[in-house]
Amino acid sequence: MSDLSELLQSPGASIEADDDFDAINRLYLERGWGDGLPLIPPTVPRVEAMLAWCDRPWNEAVAKIPPRYGEATPLRLAANAVMAGCRPEYFPLYLLAIEAMCEQPFNLYAVQATTHVCAPLVIVNGPVARELDINCGHNALGPGWQANATIGRAIRLALINIGGAIPALGDMSTYGGPSKYSFLAAENEAQSPWEPLHVERGLPQGASAVTVVGAECPHNVNDHESISGAGILTTIAGTMATTGNNDTYYPDAQPLVVFGPEHARTVANDGFDKAKVRQFLYEHATLPLGKFSKENIERRFKVAYKDQYASAGPDAVVRAVQRPDNILIAVIGGAGKHSAYFPTFGQTLAVTRALKMHDGALAKSVHDFKR
Amino acid sequence: MICSEPFEKLGKTQARVFGVPDLPLVMIPHPLGGLSLEQVEGRAEVAIPQVVKLIKASSQ
Repeated sequence: MSDLSELLQSPGASIEADDDFDAINRLYLERGWGDGLPLIPPTVPRVEAMLAWCDRPWNEAVAKIPPRYGEATPLRLAANAVMAGCRPEYFPLYLLAIEAMCEQPFNLYAVQATTHVCAPLVIVNGPVARELDINCGHNALGPGWQANATIGRAIRLALINIGGAIPALGDMSTYGGPSKYSFLAAENEAQSPWEPLHVERGLPQGASAVTVVGAECPHNVNDHESISGAGILTTIAGTMATTGNNDTYYPDAQPLVVFGPEHARTVANDGFDKAKVRQFLYEHATLPLGKFSKENIERRFKVAYKDQYASAGPDAVVRAVQRPDNILIAVIGGAGKHSAYFPTFGQTLAVTRALKMHDGALAKSVHDFKR
Repeated sequence: MICSEPFEKLGKTQARVFGVPDLPLVMIPHPLGGLSLEQVEGRAEVAIPQVVKLIKASSQ
């Protein structure tokens, strides 16, 4: 813990501005801070209220956010959470998401600075997802839900304001995407026929966790006709197998398949556990080499994957994903015969991290963090 | 470090945050992807004089 008024004395820790919403927002825009939308002024009382839900020293970095490698201290994160409109009790989960995406395997530098369209997608699991009322149902990745909208936005503000992901300076995405405003949802554990994502990835059932994926926006899979698991998986495999995805190009890529609950139930009722789903998708998400442009075949496949394609004809098989275990699976959404495929940046690995107290104990509730 | 033009500011930022603000950037025209072999050689022709200049400067 720390004394906020003391911390704010250090150079650059705070700015003085007129107590005027419009003037403060003009100042932010002039300085290139923020996502372009109006920001809630991070006044001392508001930041202090946010930090009341943090059990770490407020001025010690929990991570460094590339490409600027700015220090993500709880104090700075709290200011960004206020600006995004977060409720103070969201803060522990927000801090966890930032820590997770700054872990080395996630490769946040590249996710931030690439010309690709990816952004860190955060999937929340466990009791805290329900405690904070994070939407896992209808429109979970869309607007209209405070926790999803504001925690996701706070993450983006930290990526911009602390990490320097400013368009054409630190964020070189060719055209960007709406997922760069906010990209967070909970898994619909109650309606999933399978074990939750965080449990599958090694955490206890009672843990709360985030899983971050360097993903594109969802590519929809509409299947209103299939009444068998194999039928639905065949349609998903077809959506996965398209030209132009990074995941086709990188052997370690971990694309994400999000099942709508109705599709998940049909698939599971036909005896598919997650391992069988992965095997099916691995085998069926294929396209013939001839679907790629002549230049891609000559300059990429026959060079980077010489062993497989040096003398291959147009019917040679190209897989959307190179190993069954590379496919990430989650269940998100409400009613409807839709699922989604999320291609990734390709050179990023998903990271799952549990919500823990500063002493390392698993948190049962965000109230564990309250001062 | 070799940089194509749109990435110059990112390159300079990286040099600064890694503690080598004066790291010289060898600048080449964008893009790098989708080039013919002749065009790649053209990029090298732009880069080589800059590299030679840097080597000469560092040996003085």
